[in-house]
Amino acid sequence: MEQLRTQFPTDDFSLIALVLLLPLVGAFVCGVFGKRLGKQGVRTMALSAVGGSFILCLVAFAMLVGAPHDAHGAAGHAHAATRFTWNAWRWFTIDGGTSLVPIDVAFSIDPLSGVMMLVVTGVGFLIHLYSSSYMEKDPGYYRFFAYLNLFVFSMLVLILGDNLAVLFVGWEGVGLCSYLLIGFWFSEDKKASAGKKAFITNRIGDFGLLVAMAMLVYYAGSLQFSTLERSHASLAQMRTLWPIPGLELPAFLMPSEPFRASVPTLVALALFVGCMGKSAQMPLYVWLPDAMAGPTPVSALIHAATMVTAGIYLVARTSFIFALSPFAMAVVAGTGAVTAVFAASIAFAQTDLKKVLAYSTVSQLGYMFVGVGSGAFAAGFFHVLTHAFFKGCLFLCAGSVIHAMHHVIHDEEGSQDMRNMGGLRKHMPITHATFLVSCLAIAGCPFTSGFFSKDEVLFKAFANQIQTTQKGLWVAPAWYGQAIYAVGVVGAVCTAFYMFRAYFLTFWGDFRGWKIVKAAKSHGHDGHHEHHGDEPLEGEAPHESPWQMTLPLGVLAVFAALFWVVYAEPLHLTALERFWHPVFATASTHIVERAGAHAMMFPLLGVGAAIFLAGSGGAYYVYVLQGGKPAAAFVAAAPGLHRIVRDKWRVDEFYDATILGFIDAMGETAVAMDKWLIDGVIARLTSGIVQLLGALLRLLQTGRVQVYAASMVLGVAGIGWFVLTPHASAELDTARLRSSGDVTLTAAPGHGYSYRWAEGDAAPSGDFTTNASFTTKLDRCETRQVHLEVRNVFGGISKTTYTPCREMGNDCCTKGPAPAGGAKRAIGDATTEGGAP
Amino acid sequence: MTVPISMFLVLAAALFATGAMGFLLRRNLLVLLMSIELMLNAVNLTLVAFNRIHPANHAGQILAFFVIAIAAAEAAVGLAIVLAFFRLRGSVRSDEATALKN
Repeated sequence: MEQLRTQFPTDDFSLIALVLLLPLVGAFVCGVFGKRLGKQGVRTMALSAVGGSFILCLVAFAMLVGAPHDAHGAAGHAHAATRFTWNAWRWFTIDGGTSLVPIDVAFSIDPLSGVMMLVVTGVGFLIHLYSSSYMEKDPGYYRFFAYLNLFVFSMLVLILGDNLAVLFVGWEGVGLCSYLLIGFWFSEDKKASAGKKAFITNRIGDFGLLVAMAMLVYYAGSLQFSTLERSHASLAQMRTLWPIPGLELPAFLMPSEPFRASVPTLVALALFVGCMGKSAQMPLYVWLPDAMAGPTPVSALIHAATMVTAGIYLVARTSFIFALSPFAMAVVAGTGAVTAVFAASIAFAQTDLKKVLAYSTVSQLGYMFVGVGSGAFAAGFFHVLTHAFFKGCLFLCAGSVIHAMHHVIHDEEGSQDMRNMGGLRKHMPITHATFLVSCLAIAGCPFTSGFFSKDEVLFKAFANQIQTTQKGLWVAPAWYGQAIYAVGVVGAVCTAFYMFRAYFLTFWGDFRGWKIVKAAKSHGHDGHHEHHGDEPLEGEAPHESPWQMTLPLGVLAVFAALFWVVYAEPLHLTALERFWHPVFATASTHIVERAGAHAMMFPLLGVGAAIFLAGSGGAYYVYVLQGGKPAAAFVAAAPGLHRIVRDKWRVDEFYDATILGFIDAMGETAVAMDKWLIDGVIARLTSGIVQLLGALLRLLQTGRVQVYAASMVLGVAGIGWFVLTPHASAELDTARLRSSGDVTLTAAPGHGYSYRWAEGDAAPSGDFTTNASFTTKLDRCETRQVHLEVRNVFGGISKTTYTPCREMGNDCCTKGPAPAGGAKRAIGDATTEGGAP
Repeated sequence: MTVPISMFLVLAAALFATGAMGFLLRRNLLVLLMSIELMLNAVNLTLVAFNRIHPANHAGQILAFFVIAIAAAEAAVGLAIVLAFFRLRGSVRSDEATALKN
């Protein structure tokens, strides 16, 4: 350990380079040489890359935990977290308005990113292992692992980035990998467009993140997290948003009082727009359920455990900015709570197992935002971790189930449909057990990790209040936290209910897969396995998956069940919170617990247990005791409501009609402009002119050698004639004309030229000399003629006359009497006559 | 007795004009090649004539040798073109070489 410490000092922690490079090399090797390596080689490469990265992360984490706590305290900040930083190179410098802002490619490990990188590489390794079996039969095996390794690399860049610019690179990188993996089976139109949807929806969020970065560069002069944290107090200032300063506006647009907002609010809201996109919050959540089109391990790794939690990571990372703005915090918590309930409501009516899990992911992400939005950054982020375990496990179980189902019914949609499952606990004991454990965790069964994390989030939402010292800022009313809590409780009951609904439908009862419930729009999958209606189908029973798939399930389930030992406040286990405390120290100075709230902790624990009992008990009653009759009766009683929930509240249709319709209309307009204006008028006009000129030039192109030769001879003769005749011309130097009246004329040179000059009315006389320049002096407002004669060797003479005039600023040259000889009176005007040789 | 330089130049100009007119007016490719040779030799004559009035250096004569060498190369290439053209068209009339028209 000591050796490692000397090898990797805290301010030049190049171990990060290895952590990052391993998955990148894995991605490169799998992507470029994967086809030649074969499946065994690709598997070895990808697994060892991520596994090696995980081991290095463990080493780095051990060093972080064991680091002396005063290591960085010397920097003058008592609570500064232990940080390992590695500055790779200076990336670029941008003009921040008041100062130049250097942006480095720098990475750092602190308690927050340290824990997250363990989750990414650890869960990532398990899912790689799982995929090595799950994707066994896929022809795109090497491509899959290349993308997956690239994802791990991008996610590590996102987490370990020491400033927002590097984080943004990772942010875009994971977006790209998400797009590639959702559309992994791109030959199916639906899946390719699901990838596109995810990518484009994320662009909207990324725009917000870019705006936030620009504002931070402008207002704070830095993008580096530690610098921002040190100077975060200077951000607390008000800015006038409307009317825009310095902009003249008509009176009716001028408000009676200028609309002002605080800078932290603006920055935090812009950051949160980015989080909404990446972490699938209202109104940008629509891409995540569609993202289930990708292979199931991808859903587990990217769309449940790691990438979608990047938004929460960003809020936690910039907690010191969010904490300055009670309004932004209220928006975060409110959005989270609304999303949690809204997504949970959709999950009730879904029949696709992965869709249920997808909506529950959206819902759980909402809880995480409730946590960080209530100032409970540690609790919110703890929920990220527990969610990574139990939701990763649930997705992998779903993959295992789908894998087994696919063997029986060979239909992709059918094998994900819970109506075809049932009774699987007999056939798949390990999958069943791990699914049950994770399901208990997400439903909030006491003494599972999900119970403590969700309870902590809800309790903090209930208890916390965001303070501000800045005047004129909106502060959430006292009931706001309780309202969030109430909404969260409703959502939690829903969660417990629909998760157990999924569990009972999948694993209890009798296996229904031999009597296939065809999806409504079934279209004769593949042709070689046509099943009609309720025709009974005998076949092999679904079987348990191989160890590569069940081992990750087991490990994740153990973590889902027991991870609470690091953070369970009611049991006074706060190791994780103490570990993270330095990271959130700045932000938590703005958070206070409302008086008397602490006493509510244990009563609220009871509420948490009641939530679990109500939800899971309800599901047991409806789907096991009554065999689903109450649900059917409900659907019969309110068919319209059921249909609209099944259609996900028609949000996609609403977006299609409004935003997409608007963009389509703009596109149509642009197409029409292109077709009629650009193609029709401009292009045809241009081509017409070119054609006309071409037709003229074609006349010259006779194809007869002699005509070309003749034109050459004519050209040479013309040049010869020009050379043989003299050409009189001179350049006037009028620089001193106004001050002293001096004008110098310099005749243009030519081969064998000689010159003679005269001025006034006298014609040039005497011998031709080699004197090529002539100077004369003019009085004020005087116009004088200067004659030049040029003779060449053959005796040809050319003449020209210049009439410079000395203008004194009163336009006397243009207004005065016409000079003799009728020459024009502009400066430098010349009359020329040529002479033949 | 020395012949004045102008005599050489007049002769060269006459030769050059003959070559140029031949090139422009005749239609037989072989005659065209000969016309080009005539023009080149007119230039050679000018070069060596000027060299007479600058006896100190031999730039004109050296240049004339270069021109002769290039003329030989040109004749080789030109005759090859004429041969190929004859194989293609069965004649050596220059007004049949119109493939590049338009």
